[in-house]
Amino acid sequence: MDTLARIKDLASKEFSLDASALDPAAPLDTLGIDSLSFIEFMFKVEEEFGVSVSDEDLKGIKTLADLERHVASALATAGKG
Amino acid sequence: MGERRVAVTGAGVVSPVGTSLDAFHAALCDARSGIGKLPAEVTQSSGVQVGALVDWDPAALFKEAEAANLDRASQFALGAAGQAMASSGLDVADRRERVGVYWGTGMGGATTLEGAYKQVYGAGEWRLRPLTVVMAMNNAAGSNIAVRHGLRGPFANFATACSSSAMALGEAMQAIMAGRADAMVVGGSEALLTPGTLAAWQALRTLAPADGADAAASCKPFDKRRTGLVLGEGAAAFVLEDESLARARGATILALLTGYGNSCDATHMSRPDREGQIRAMRQALVQAALPPDAIGYINAHGTATAVGDVVEAEAINIAFGAAAAAIPVSSTKSMHGHLLGGAGALEFAAALMPLLRGVLPPTAYLAQADPACKLRHVPGEAQRVTPPRAVMSNSFAFGGSNVALVAQRA
Repeated sequence: MDTLARIKDLASKEFSLDASALDPAAPLDTLGIDSLSFIEFMFKVEEEFGVSVSDEDLKGIKTLADLERHVASALATAGKG
Repeated sequence: MGERRVAVTGAGVVSPVGTSLDAFHAALCDARSGIGKLPAEVTQSSGVQVGALVDWDPAALFKEAEAANLDRASQFALGAAGQAMASSGLDVADRRERVGVYWGTGMGGATTLEGAYKQVYGAGEWRLRPLTVVMAMNNAAGSNIAVRHGLRGPFANFATACSSSAMALGEAMQAIMAGRADAMVVGGSEALLTPGTLAAWQALRTLAPADGADAAASCKPFDKRRTGLVLGEGAAAFVLEDESLARARGATILALLTGYGNSCDATHMSRPDREGQIRAMRQALVQAALPPDAIGYINAHGTATAVGDVVEAEAINIAFGAAAAAIPVSSTKSMHGHLLGGAGALEFAAALMPLLRGVLPPTAYLAQADPACKLRHVPGEAQRVTPPRAVMSNSFAFGGSNVALVAQRA
């Protein structure tokens, strides 16, 4: 499974959403994901991929596509990509 | 305009002996105990042997991800409150600001907090879930109820140990009488059967060991053979409403909540005080404007400790005077254990049995009454009775907090 698919899979479980209907470009708040829920979700994403997203980078993440780019770049830096 | 009266229009129960009001009452009617040997993963090296666990399947009520974000105490609370709301038929859609939540709990999200400490100190893993704080905080259960049902009226969380949820009931009654709310969702929950908390309780030397012959019989209030209390878990919730509004919408009124006594011993952190208990019971009778002989059943605090049961028996005899000899008294903790912050609410549900069903719930396993506890007991088995005019439920707590509630036939 590629990175985006794994993120969508996690998101669908966490927020009880249909993974196939998740638009990676949609702002997270339009998916009904509030900031606290998102921080809890990020915790699980970091566990899943074994990466760490800085507080600074976190602020820039507005969509699942943004999240995928950060995770992919962190994986590449860590040599896991 | 006369004084507002407060009606109980809905009830919900999540207990070790049943997860609805009907199932709970049926268990008490059969003197069925939910007390048993605790599994080794719960007791670990605490030395505690018995407890009263709720047979709980979160999947019946919550999606997996949702349950993972709710402490066990909040899950119980949402379960009980959901039942209470459904049974009351209260529609809050057009008056959410007039309906609030008062809740009671001793330790809030104890399971979440202990899990976090175990991870940090036990495993040296300092990266905790971001939801740890909002899951563990003491007001989480009540707040989850408010969020779930969209209740925007008065909110409070009472944490006075074993009187917490009885106080929530009394204060919610006051809030409705004062016109601050039309209706309140009220009750309490507790879920602290975790190894660390059990170890702390064990250190108090107040917990009963397992009964040698039958673990279900380990808690024997008012019995000469009593050896201490047994911890339990669960929740009970009620919908309280301004009586006139409840009648106007044709609601089924289970009972009226008419008396609330609240006192503090101000003598000792853990030793019960007769005078404080008497003050609470008398206050409740005065507010209900009832003579002592109008009370046809008392659900005692009755924890089955050596000192506590004697002090309460003396307090009842003094508070009720000559009427005491005729008033049936029982402690249902013999069956559901001690729910601590949830105890007052659950035992209020037990105290409604004589009013609703004409049945006195028993003190299970009471066979050799302690002569120092001179009361008209309901020993061993439930008794049929003509529904009395009123009942009382007592809740006395560490810290010296005493609450007595009086409910009357609708």
